[in-house]
Amino acid sequence: MKFPAHESAVRAALAAPSRRQLLRHLGAGFGTLGLTAVLADAGLLSAAEAPASLSPLAPKAPHFAPKAKRIIQLFMPGGPSQVDTFDYKPALAKNSGQRPSLVDRKSLRNTKGGLMPSPFGFKQYGKCGKWVSEIFPHVAGCVDDICFVHSMHTDTPEHASAILMMNLGHLQPTRPSMGSWLVYGLGSENRNLPGFVAMSPRAQPRGTLSNWGSSFLPGAYAGTYVNISQMKPDAVVAHLKNTGLKPDAQRQQVDLLAKLNRLHLERSEKDAQLEASIESMELAFRMQTAVPEVFDTSGETKNTLELYGPGEFAKGCLLARRMVEQGVRVVQLSHSIDGYDIAWDTGHDDIIKGHALLAKACDQGIAALLTDLKQRGLLDETLVLWGGEFGRAPTSEGAKGRDHDHYGFTVWMAGGGVKPGTNYGATDEFGLSATENRVHVRDLHATILHLMGLDHEKLTYRYSGRDYRLTDVAGSVVKGVLK
Amino acid sequence: MDWVLFMRIALAAVLVIGIATPSHADGPTAEQSAFFETKVRPLLSKRCYSCHSTSAKKSKGGLKLDSRESILKGGDSGPAVDLGKPARSLLLKAVKYDGLEMPPTGKLSVDEIEVLSKWVEMGVPWPETAVKPVVGLEVGVLTPERLKHWAFQPLQGTDPPIRTEADRKRQPIDRFIDSGLAVKGLKPGPAADRRTLIRRANLDLIGLPPNPEEVEAFVLDDSADAYPKLIEKLLASLHYGERWGRHWLDVARFSDGHGSFLDPAPLPEAWRYRDWVVKALNDDLPYDQFLKSQIAGDLIGDGKEVVATGFLAVGPTYQSDGGDPESVAKSKAETLDDRVDTVTRGLLALTVSCARCHDHKFDPIPQADYYSFAAVFNNTKTVDRSSATSEELKLVVEHKKSLDAVTAKLKNLSKDTEPERRKELESEVAKLKASAPPRVHAVEDAGSADMPLALRGDPLKPGVIIPRRFLAALAGPKPPTWTKGSGRLQLADAIASPTNSLTPRVMVNRVWQHHFGRPLVATPGNFGLLGEKPSHPQLLDWLSAKFVADGWSLKKLHRLIMLSDTYQRSSQFDAASFRIDGDNRYLWRMAPQRLEVEAWRDTILAVTGELDRTFGGASVHDILTSPRRTLYAAVSRNGDKLPADEFLRLFDFPSMRATVSERTSSTVPQQSLFLMNSPFMAARGKAFTARLLREAKTSDARIDRAYALLYGRTATADERETATAFLSAGKEAEMWPRYAQALLGSYELMQSR
Repeated sequence: MKFPAHESAVRAALAAPSRRQLLRHLGAGFGTLGLTAVLADAGLLSAAEAPASLSPLAPKAPHFAPKAKRIIQLFMPGGPSQVDTFDYKPALAKNSGQRPSLVDRKSLRNTKGGLMPSPFGFKQYGKCGKWVSEIFPHVAGCVDDICFVHSMHTDTPEHASAILMMNLGHLQPTRPSMGSWLVYGLGSENRNLPGFVAMSPRAQPRGTLSNWGSSFLPGAYAGTYVNISQMKPDAVVAHLKNTGLKPDAQRQQVDLLAKLNRLHLERSEKDAQLEASIESMELAFRMQTAVPEVFDTSGETKNTLELYGPGEFAKGCLLARRMVEQGVRVVQLSHSIDGYDIAWDTGHDDIIKGHALLAKACDQGIAALLTDLKQRGLLDETLVLWGGEFGRAPTSEGAKGRDHDHYGFTVWMAGGGVKPGTNYGATDEFGLSATENRVHVRDLHATILHLMGLDHEKLTYRYSGRDYRLTDVAGSVVKGVLK
Repeated sequence: MDWVLFMRIALAAVLVIGIATPSHADGPTAEQSAFFETKVRPLLSKRCYSCHSTSAKKSKGGLKLDSRESILKGGDSGPAVDLGKPARSLLLKAVKYDGLEMPPTGKLSVDEIEVLSKWVEMGVPWPETAVKPVVGLEVGVLTPERLKHWAFQPLQGTDPPIRTEADRKRQPIDRFIDSGLAVKGLKPGPAADRRTLIRRANLDLIGLPPNPEEVEAFVLDDSADAYPKLIEKLLASLHYGERWGRHWLDVARFSDGHGSFLDPAPLPEAWRYRDWVVKALNDDLPYDQFLKSQIAGDLIGDGKEVVATGFLAVGPTYQSDGGDPESVAKSKAETLDDRVDTVTRGLLALTVSCARCHDHKFDPIPQADYYSFAAVFNNTKTVDRSSATSEELKLVVEHKKSLDAVTAKLKNLSKDTEPERRKELESEVAKLKASAPPRVHAVEDAGSADMPLALRGDPLKPGVIIPRRFLAALAGPKPPTWTKGSGRLQLADAIASPTNSLTPRVMVNRVWQHHFGRPLVATPGNFGLLGEKPSHPQLLDWLSAKFVADGWSLKKLHRLIMLSDTYQRSSQFDAASFRIDGDNRYLWRMAPQRLEVEAWRDTILAVTGELDRTFGGASVHDILTSPRRTLYAAVSRNGDKLPADEFLRLFDFPSMRATVSERTSSTVPQQSLFLMNSPFMAARGKAFTARLLREAKTSDARIDRAYALLYGRTATADERETATAFLSAGKEAEMWPRYAQALLGSYELMQSR
């Protein structure tokens, strides 16, 4: 079976037999010598690629030079309202209560309300003069670093399927998540940490595991989920701590097992998987200290801690920065308050109460993350993505609420190769449907992959008789957002 | 037979049925429609659509030729047809190689150019039918080239080769394998020693290691039938069904439910299907019946095998999140896809699901095949029902009546009076409750309708109605349609038919895969054109024919394989053979195999003496705190809902979202963390220590006992020295459990050699 070069490399790293074959061609007797060293000595691997070659998470060359090396997705499940946040529509106030044909489209709950002006005040910010709602005062201060995409649209007005579309590119939970595709494509820069970390305070976003799962991709590419409310390193990586043995006693035991395994290796034959398991035991031993370090924010300066401010989401933002700093490839931080799995779905009854509260819980942390990344020179190579699975209609549901809107919504990106201080695409004058430069979720995926140095049509994996991709059979790179 | 011709006729018939009366007064005449369907459409489909259609990967030059509108709209070079000046149309110029040269692969024949010219002159009549883009009805996929593929041929009855006189007395398997080795200049390796062999056979057939006493007895028994007797004993063990049942449950993507938000239902009775599988294997239920029961157990005989239809019922049943009708339709389509995929990839190793949106890109599977199968499951509903037969159901009603009556009587009794009577009634209630037939997750017929093909896989865009019938590539030129009920029974009969060569080949290949760690066809879930070719095609066919002739008996197949010299070879490395065949494709030795998580964990518990060998019953909520076999762990479809999920997945237990043909075998540091730090491993270390302290007196004797229990051998001098050095570094009570835990975490224990 022929695979693209990229996939072959992954399959080889995972499948012991082919690697074993390579080894055995070298002849006998490398005993306790490291496998990778042998391969490197034999000229079968360059010294640079040798050290991590056994791991499916070893860094891999992208298809072309990337603009972004890492991504932080700030996921807003539930559907934040575009016209109450970043898509300013003054026409709503002028036509309040009317239902022009332009907005007379079927919504999930078949609401028939008229246009409802945003209850929030908007002001212009930054050099670019971007209009932003009063509920995001901190993010408003960063607009000159942000590229707003106002013309997003998706396939369904239901939470679960639209969330999966945003995070997997498919309406059912049967495909790998975007993060797992990225780690499959690029590997991880830090082998002591997971390549993909998903976080949220309290509730996991609807769809749970599927949002960071690897489906048919090898399990090594699945995201590791962290509940920020618990914050125990042992909850991040299972069995990270040994509760029974002191470090030196554990060292002794690990050495014993390594010795026994090496004796087995020498006695039987060269076995790459066995060699890998000896290496992997060492790595595990190191992880026991590397992982808690990432989660220990006690070394952060007072200024930094104040910049992020209080709250669990802010803590998640700070952790996200620490992780990308350490080379974690993908961080997905989902918003949630009160343990609700579609937090932003508080807009049906009362847009003011729900949205104001949610924005307040994340605004400062998001702005701090952008500022902090920029100060550390990390923003250029880190792509930050903000958005939900769809938006909310400019018409009213009940007296004060808004129903789902999958015809048009806003996401924004910052850093990693996107044009700062710009808007891309537009909705109609009332903000219901994307009309100008429409961007489907799959186009967004193609663009993200492009920024990360991957061609969305070439990043494929053969499963069940065909080559799958994140973008299925669609998606085009949105050139207009690229720097 | 002329397949192409046959399919043209058959599908043209389908098309005619599908053609509606033109909706516009100026639509094509009947004559024009006929001309289009018989001449133009096949031509466009054959020569143009690979580059210029909706189903093409990319329409070249932005041009699509699969609807009238797109032809008139044209591509980058302008409209393909100019209705004002038809003769000067770009399409005609291109096919005449005038300026443009299309198709680039070779000029059309004079006749073909004539057909297109005539059609353009007519004004490009395009019959308005429900099947506008003809994706799925193209005859293109049933090409002779595709149909020639090995997997679609009948079983080839090749006699096992005879190279020497001695070969006449040898097992057919060895004659096939050894002649393959000879062709490659390879020599078969030596036979495995007895210790290795008994451990291998045990792990292979029952997923548990032999105990030291069994090993010693086998080593000392030099009678000729010692090994055959061992195989018989293992095949008769009820643990056999537990081990091989799990292999099947991978194919059946078995779980206890608990999927994601869109398929969240728990399946509290799923274990009854699991127990049915285990028992069916232990009873050596013929494989054809095994399959039929799982597809249509409710429709066979008195329906007493209804529990077997759990095969279909335990799959995901997707819901929608809010009742949006489009989402409901898409969820339903996804559920059907699971059933089609599980049945075709699991039982036939064909990727029929690839034909959900368009004709298969590589295999002779038209899109219509997908909807033939999908319709069968569209007529089938998942139900929680009593496992009783219809006769028994009458009794159930009676039973319910008497239970209600007794319960009512009990209620009417005053609290203090008649304690005797009360006791009597209470015990009667308990007895009645216990004798109620169990509930099962099963399927039932819910209709008998054919289903429209979904254009580009979108259930909201129905195309023509597709009759239910078996796969075009396998069914022959006149496939009978399935009209009885859902069609499940007919589907089951077609799959489990002795004339269907794929069914036995696929199962023989799976059995071989688990015995040798490598199947004869290296892609056990895909026998299509993109799959691997068999390493030993004649052996595969010979075994498949033998399997059918032996009454589809799996136990006979195991016996045949395990009694071969090939199976009994040593796993010893050989540099010369390795240079020629590094992957051991030709089986010059037995490849060492890493145990699946079930066999590994069960082995640990057997070694520590803690294993609870109870058979069957409800799934165990958290297997890590139970001494039961790993087979009985409750697992969630999503892999994140139940306590054991994380542990199992860490050790490569696959996602039960879709049928599984092969497990991966990964080595990640999190596994090492589990070996080092998990409470489970620490507890096993203590239990193993307790057993060793109990069963041997001195430190040396305990090390011996440990090695005998773990690996069925004695410790080497190096190992003994390493152990002694470690143990003497601290207090016995502290060092022994640490030592024992390290031994249990050793790689050797994870392997069968």
